[in-house]
Amino acid sequence: MANKPLITIITSSAFFRHDTGGGEHPEAPERMQVITDRLAEGPLANRIRHLPPRPAERGQLLAFHTEGWLFRFEEAVLSGRTYIDHPDNQVGYDSYEIATLSAGSGLVGIDVVEQEPGSVVFCQTRPPGHHAEPNQPYGFCFFNNCVIAARYWQQQYNRRRVCVFDFDAHHGNGIQTAFEEEADTAYISIHEHPSFSYPGTGWAEDRGWGAGKGTILNLPLPPGAGEEQVLRVLPKVYKFIREFQPDVLIVGAGFDAHRDDDMSGLAFTVDLYRQLGVFVREISKELTEGRLVSILEGGYNLHKLGRCTEAYLMGLAETDK
Amino acid sequence: MFIRYHMTPSPITVTPDTTVAEAIDILQQHNIRHLLVVDQQGGLQGIISDRDLRSARPSSVARSKERQNVEEQVNNTPVSRLMTRDCLSLNPNATLDDALLLFQSRKIGALPVLSEDEKVIGVFTTADLMNAYRCLFGLGEKGSVLVSIEDTGDPQAMSKLVRVMEEKQVSFTRLVRSDGGSKSKPMIFLRINTYNVRSVHKALEAAGFTINVPEEFR
Repeated sequence: MANKPLITIITSSAFFRHDTGGGEHPEAPERMQVITDRLAEGPLANRIRHLPPRPAERGQLLAFHTEGWLFRFEEAVLSGRTYIDHPDNQVGYDSYEIATLSAGSGLVGIDVVEQEPGSVVFCQTRPPGHHAEPNQPYGFCFFNNCVIAARYWQQQYNRRRVCVFDFDAHHGNGIQTAFEEEADTAYISIHEHPSFSYPGTGWAEDRGWGAGKGTILNLPLPPGAGEEQVLRVLPKVYKFIREFQPDVLIVGAGFDAHRDDDMSGLAFTVDLYRQLGVFVREISKELTEGRLVSILEGGYNLHKLGRCTEAYLMGLAETDK
Repeated sequence: MFIRYHMTPSPITVTPDTTVAEAIDILQQHNIRHLLVVDQQGGLQGIISDRDLRSARPSSVARSKERQNVEEQVNNTPVSRLMTRDCLSLNPNATLDDALLLFQSRKIGALPVLSEDEKVIGVFTTADLMNAYRCLFGLGEKGSVLVSIEDTGDPQAMSKLVRVMEEKQVSFTRLVRSDGGSKSKPMIFLRINTYNVRSVHKALEAAGFTINVPEEFR
């Protein structure tokens, strides 16, 4: 056991303090607890080390977001507002500060991977990020954690070609916004078809434009889709990534496509998340010299989130047996 | 719903003596399919489409020698010889419905928009019409999802739906009732703005509504 590689989890108890109002809000602090508990009880327990995130700096946030949004977000929480723009986007007094910490998780993860390429790094973080737009929150997301990580990787380590693969049940509209006009970044999303699911974006026809033409791959799945449909599209994902030739890979790891998760009509199984782990791990070994960071997005069924996360991490670690 | 809000204002125009070659260049350059032909004062003389221009050119299977001669001749022809004169037009206060009916009945793809004094102030094409209906229906609006609900003909259905949305505090932007025409069942379409789509489905089902999902997606 001792010679098996470590799994690094970037997380903080501060993530419990992002207050989404209790009640029925699905993006609840308990999401962190169920992951922590499951990992502590399961077979990965003695392979995990925890590292704290550091807050993303203002300049790092501004790599995607506008000054106006930073100001508006901070102002809203400090003045005691309970949500921003839409009741989905619940906030508490500490939410701004915690969102900067959530956005900073990926940066710490990248530093780890740059020092130890090939190691398994997972950012267990909230609030999630992939719906956040430059000047607006959407769908529980305030800062776009994946995009901020991508910019950091480009700027700090000069890894120009960044590919984000997002298997959350929802389309990451904010990541597409960031990348769709750029040649150096690519975004791949598997999600429930936009006619049936939030946020109503992510059409297969969107492929990027201008310099970014061909850098977006949206793979919408019909409601009810599960393992069979996902395994059918993975070869397309592989081909797309291989042709794009990324320097690094970021995974937007959302677990709300599980069949018991009410936030989507998709029907993924726990084992499918393990297979997704194996899939991205193999790609990163082949194409990015092991430079891979995974960042938690959605996943709201408190009975399944821990197991799905564990299965994904087991898939990531599996090839090292 | 008025054309003035959906037309392309100040469209690209040509004069009657513009040659076919020049007109083709302009269409390609701007990636458009219709050109309005106006006189020096901006008065409408006609309209010319890429189809008119393409059908004026020699067939690509014609013998090369002939082809070259004819092509040169065509390229130097002024568009006034090919354009449709006396074309239909819209005024800016015409409605999207007016345009849709004209497009369908006359099988055309673009209509000039003329001011009171008959000057060209815009053009309205089928692409503009699609964009206009896309906006009206909210397709692709970030943060929104369209829910389709089977319509049982309950006269109170609309107010019940609004009540469910208010009780659940779900904001919505479109509520459309359609008899489905000849191809579909009667439906009510509701565009909601929330992440929690399933909870809306459940609330609607609890209120007696049926969400319409194709059998194979169940």
